[in-house]
Order: sequence, then C-alpha cells, then structure tokens
Amino acid sequence: MMEMAIKRFTKMEYKNPDEMVFGEAKYPLSYGLGQKIGAGHVVPEINFAPRPDAGKNPETLRREYVDYITKDILERAVNIGLPAVQLENEHIWQMVNDPKRFEKPVVEGQKALMEKYHNEYGIALSIRHTIADPRLCEKGLRPGMDKEHSYPEKVIEAAEVACENGADVLSIESMGGKEVADYAIMNGDIRAWLFGIGYLGALDMEWLWPQLVDICKRNKVIAGGDTNCAGANTSMFMAGGYLDKDVARTFAAVTRAIASTRTLIAWEAGATGPDKDCGYEGPILKAIAGRPTAQEGKNCTCAHNDLMGNLIAQVCDLWSNESVEYHAEFGGSSVQCWLGSLGYEVALMNTAKQLKQDKILRDLYMNTDRYRSPEAFILAYDNAYKIGEAIVANSKSYYDRAKAAALTAATLIQEEASKKNGLRLSKMEADTLNGIIRDLNSLPDSEGKFVEWALKEYKKVPMFNPKNYGL
Amino acid sequence: MLDTSNVNYDEIFVRYDIVSESKEKPETIAAKMLPKDPLLKKVAEDVLYMKWKDIEASVKEALAKYKPEEVIDKGLVKGMDVVGELYGRGIYYLPHVMLAAKAMELGVKEAEKKMTTAMVTKGTVVMHVAEGDPHDIGKNIAAVLLRSNGYSVVDMGRDVPVDDVVNKVVETSPHMVTGTALMTTTMAAFPKIAERLLEKGVELPFVCAGGAVNRAYVESFPLGVFAEKAMQGPTLAAKAVEGWDYKKIRSNWDELMSGKA
Repeated sequence: MMEMAIKRFTKMEYKNPDEMVFGEAKYPLSYGLGQKIGAGHVVPEINFAPRPDAGKNPETLRREYVDYITKDILERAVNIGLPAVQLENEHIWQMVNDPKRFEKPVVEGQKALMEKYHNEYGIALSIRHTIADPRLCEKGLRPGMDKEHSYPEKVIEAAEVACENGADVLSIESMGGKEVADYAIMNGDIRAWLFGIGYLGALDMEWLWPQLVDICKRNKVIAGGDTNCAGANTSMFMAGGYLDKDVARTFAAVTRAIASTRTLIAWEAGATGPDKDCGYEGPILKAIAGRPTAQEGKNCTCAHNDLMGNLIAQVCDLWSNESVEYHAEFGGSSVQCWLGSLGYEVALMNTAKQLKQDKILRDLYMNTDRYRSPEAFILAYDNAYKIGEAIVANSKSYYDRAKAAALTAATLIQEEASKKNGLRLSKMEADTLNGIIRDLNSLPDSEGKFVEWALKEYKKVPMFNPKNYGL
Repeated sequence: MLDTSNVNYDEIFVRYDIVSESKEKPETIAAKMLPKDPLLKKVAEDVLYMKWKDIEASVKEALAKYKPEEVIDKGLVKGMDVVGELYGRGIYYLPHVMLAAKAMELGVKEAEKKMTTAMVTKGTVVMHVAEGDPHDIGKNIAAVLLRSNGYSVVDMGRDVPVDDVVNKVVETSPHMVTGTALMTTTMAAFPKIAERLLEKGVELPFVCAGGAVNRAYVESFPLGVFAEKAMQGPTLAAKAVEGWDYKKIRSNWDELMSGKA
C-alpha cells in the first residue's frame, strides 16, 4: 500500500536510453552560490571524512571541517581553475547525536567560507549535507520507540539543523530494511532481500522522506535524494573483485536492481535530485525520473573499489570521490588531491560536451566496464533503462516493481551470458543466478500474499521487528 | 551506441576468477575428510550440504550408538572442517558457510540434550560494534564463525559505549574481545577501550576490524590486534586461548594469517 504523499512513477521521462548522457537531466536544478546541476555540464562533488580524533569536542570538529577541509578544498578549486564545485559533508555520529552542539557550527562555518570564495572569485559553489541515520532497529526506527537514544527524533532534528544553517542540498543514507538485507546477503536469499529492501525499506522511505521534503521546502533547500548504500553497497563490496569469494556478483547485481525501487521513493516523495553519489542505482533512477544523479567510480578509489570505475560516469551530473579521510599526501591534503582528480575528469566530460562528443565519451566509459561484472552490465545505461521500464510498468505495488526489477536484471544477465562474446559468468555466478530466477519465480503474485508469507518466513531474522515498519 | 563488435575485451580486463576457478568438486574433497562410520558420516554430510532440516534426525540416530561428545567432535565438527576447507578454496561462498553453521548449531543443540554436564566450549569471546556505528554485518559473520568453531560468544551488539565494553570484559573474563567499525571516527573508541582495560589491570587480545580499520592504526595502541576478515577470528581466538598475549600475536601475525604459525 502506498501513502498519498508518494506519487509513484508510472512512465519513463526519457523516450529512449540514447537520450541519456552525462551533464544533462530532464529536470535541471539551480541552487546554492550560482550552482547549476544537470544543465549542460558535470560538476565535481568532493566528499571527505575528518580524522579519527576530530570528533573529540564541537570545536575540534568545527576546526577540522571548516578551517582545514573546506578551506583546503576551496583553495585548490580556485588554484586549478575549476568553474564549479559541490561539497558533500556526510555527517558523523556526533553531529546527529547532538546536532546543536556538533552539527550547527560546522554547517554554518562551511557556508560562510564558501560565500567568501564565491564572492571573491565567482566560483559556483554548493554544499550537500548528508545527515547520518544511526537508527537501530533493535531499539526502534520510529519516533517514541527508541527510549535509550531517541535516534528517530534526532534524525529529523539533524535535518532541520542542516537546512536552517546553510545546507544547499539535503540527503541521507537511510537504513530501513538493513537487518533483513544483511540476513539476505549472509544467507544468499534473494527473497529475503526483496522483502527487506523492496518492501520494508520502501515502507521506511515512505515514512522518512515526506518529512525531509517538508523540512527542505520550509527552508528553501533542495531535497536531494537517498541511496541504498547500507544495503546494495554492502552486497556489492562483499561480492568484491575477482579474488573475493563471499557473495556471488550475480547476487549483488540483482540486489542493486531491487535497491533502485527503494531509492526512487525519495523522489516520489517530492525530492528533486541530485541523488547520492554512492547510490550506484542512479542510472536506473535517472532513466525513470529524468532527475540529476550524482555518481562515483574511478575517482573514488580512495574509498570504494568497484568493477565499474568508468562505466558509472556514463550519465552522471555530479562526479564524486565518495569520501576520503583528511590527511597529508605528497600533492597537498587528501581532499585537494582527490578534488584535482575529480576536476580533471569532469573537465574531460565537459570538453566532450562542448565539442559535441559527449555521447562518444559516454559509450567509451560504458564499454570499458560493460562486461567486467554482472552488476556493471545491468547498470550500463541501455540495461538500466530496461530495468526502469520494468519498474514503471509494474507500479501497482512496491513488491511488484521490485520483483520486476529483479527478474529483468536477472534475465538480462542470463541472456547475455548465453552469447558467445561479452559477459562471462563464473560457475558460482551462474549457479547463483539460476537459483535467484527460480526463487523469484516461486513467489506469489500479489503483494498481500507475499508479505503474509515473508512475515512468517523471516520472523526469526535477528533484530527484525515488524513494528518498525508500521506492520 | 558505438559499434563494439571488434573490441577484444581480453585486452581490456581479465576475469582472473574464471581463470583460476577450482575444478574440484565438493564431493571429491569431502570424501578425503569425512568420517567413515555411516552414522557419523551422515551427520557430517548434513552440515556440509547444509541440510539443516534433516540434521536433528541424523544426530538422534547417531546418538543411539555414540556419546553426544563423539557425535559433536567426530560428526558435526568434521562436517564443518570440510566446509572451512571448501570456503578456503573458493568453492563454497559465505552463504554456504552460514547455512552449514546453522545446521551445525541445530545439531549441537540436539546432542546437548543428551549431555549430563554443560558443553565445554573452547573459550569465550566478547564482541561489539563501536559506539555510533550501526554497521554490524562483519561482526555477525565473525560471531557465526566463532560459534561454529566451538567458542562461546558474548555478543554486545552495535553502537556500544566504551564503558559498557570494558565492564562486560571485566564481568565475563573472556579470552578475547573484538571491536568492529566501518567509520574512521567511530574506531577512535578502540584505543580508549584498551586504555581503560589496562587501567583496570585487564590484559587480553583486543581484535579490531572493519572497513575503516587498518593494521597500523590497531597496532598503534596497546592490546590491539588487527583482523582483515571474519574468517580469521577462530585462528586468533585459538591463540588467545592458548595463552598468547597481544604482543606475541602481533609479532606472529603474518605467519598466523597465512596459516604457518
């Protein structure tokens, strides 16, 4: 069942996959200090993490974020001539646990410094504040349930503090459904994933995002979007590279397709993009909704090692480094070095746009990794578009569209792997994929029957409490 | 879209996982390791092939002939040994290990019903995820592996304050304590835990692991022992139970992790 606050997508905003390219979205955005996103160019998005001891007290944290990190970024951006930069501050636990003391001075301080550089040099600047989601399902995900920490209440308070004190974009990496998703990964159970992320996670998004959108509207802040980092990236990183043997990469690919139906709900609740960089499901979301997407790949290897470093740049509007801990490198501080890396890649993309070679570059990016892993394959923009079509064509329930996304992804991989050239699967990948298709096809037709079955089947999953999802 | 029909993808990336894929079948490896006695073999196979629905019946049948300790040591544990071998060779993946461990746990419970005294575990491990950190999948996997290897686990959960960890260690006197963290800012709790344990005169290996955690950091404070993967837990626990202190584990870490110590 979907709430009225959620207006779900029932058609594709792009007429065909070839229309999609980096640096252009159907619904571009203007915000911050002269920033334009999805409006004909790509913007680098630099993300950072403070050093371990920086969170000792509010002043040490403010100094780390403002006087060191933000100043270093802005200096380097001007120094190498970047026309535009977006900063992203992924809040640490202290900032959500005690927003007024830890979060407010950082948010205010970063914006003040950005205004100084914008006024002095005219550089387009903006900042995304990504509030932390420390909610614990064993304590309660909804207000009034967590008597020990009050995390659900604090998440909302942290969003308000960010929006009232200088955020241009608000995002979150929400955690709903993670306990069942973790169980699904550990046990190789795609039906549990469908329940955890496709259904429970969707219900949590439905609770969370209308509130965040409301806070953003009141403060004239862009409601960016979410990511299933907590779920699909756990799956992707455990599947890992060619030496990793914990999770089959076909499993990770299908979990990604399902995750896209969850992440989409932020936009269905009124958020406008850009979504979060670590949501590798972004190409599917952009194909459906035409909104700007932040992505990360080869220039985020400081934090993430994935098998689609080039491919995932194909349709991005912001290009990110994911995160880097602040420390010294030979070429300056870490944030300066990784901003340089992002900035030059984005310059390549934007030159390609000026010379009208952007679709060639898009296809070069995409083809280098198209067959490197099943997950890269389903996120190639033509396949992402097909998954998007399956989602909008099955929009009558969260379950229907998540299952359709999963089966479409699984079938695309299976068909491609049966061809002579192109995508190859290891024995474990192929066996796992066959099991996934069998399991998905064994599920009931209606959401009601599925939920009834899943609540019994997964009632003993550690820490799972249906009350967290209003069930 | 570009015409890519002439692209030779082998020049662009190599699927080393397929190149090095093991050709051996689980059955071939199992045949060399499983017990010969048909009753114990069935118990071991139920673990190996993750038949958690069958295992209680198989254990009951074995208990008619063998003592519960024998069913555990010569049946269930042998099955798990094969699972470990297959996982080490990349033939089994994590879900196989988790489902085999589930079968093992059910089998042990069934055997324990016939025991006159409580089951003696190899040792006790206190586990937690750092304060402010909700990421616990690594800790949960490690807990399953420790339990299925015969250790008793005191699982404190996630987002656990420093003092709670210290108090639990003092209260339960484990052989080893573990902490995991995904984020650099949350791992800052680990040296504080080590410091307070030492203040209370408690010295034991404190195994630290997780996404943001690295060996240099963990070895920068007393008690700290780094673990890269969940499967290293039982190896480290075995040494802690043997009486190795954190300094000895650290100085033999490379050999331990490569199975040479």
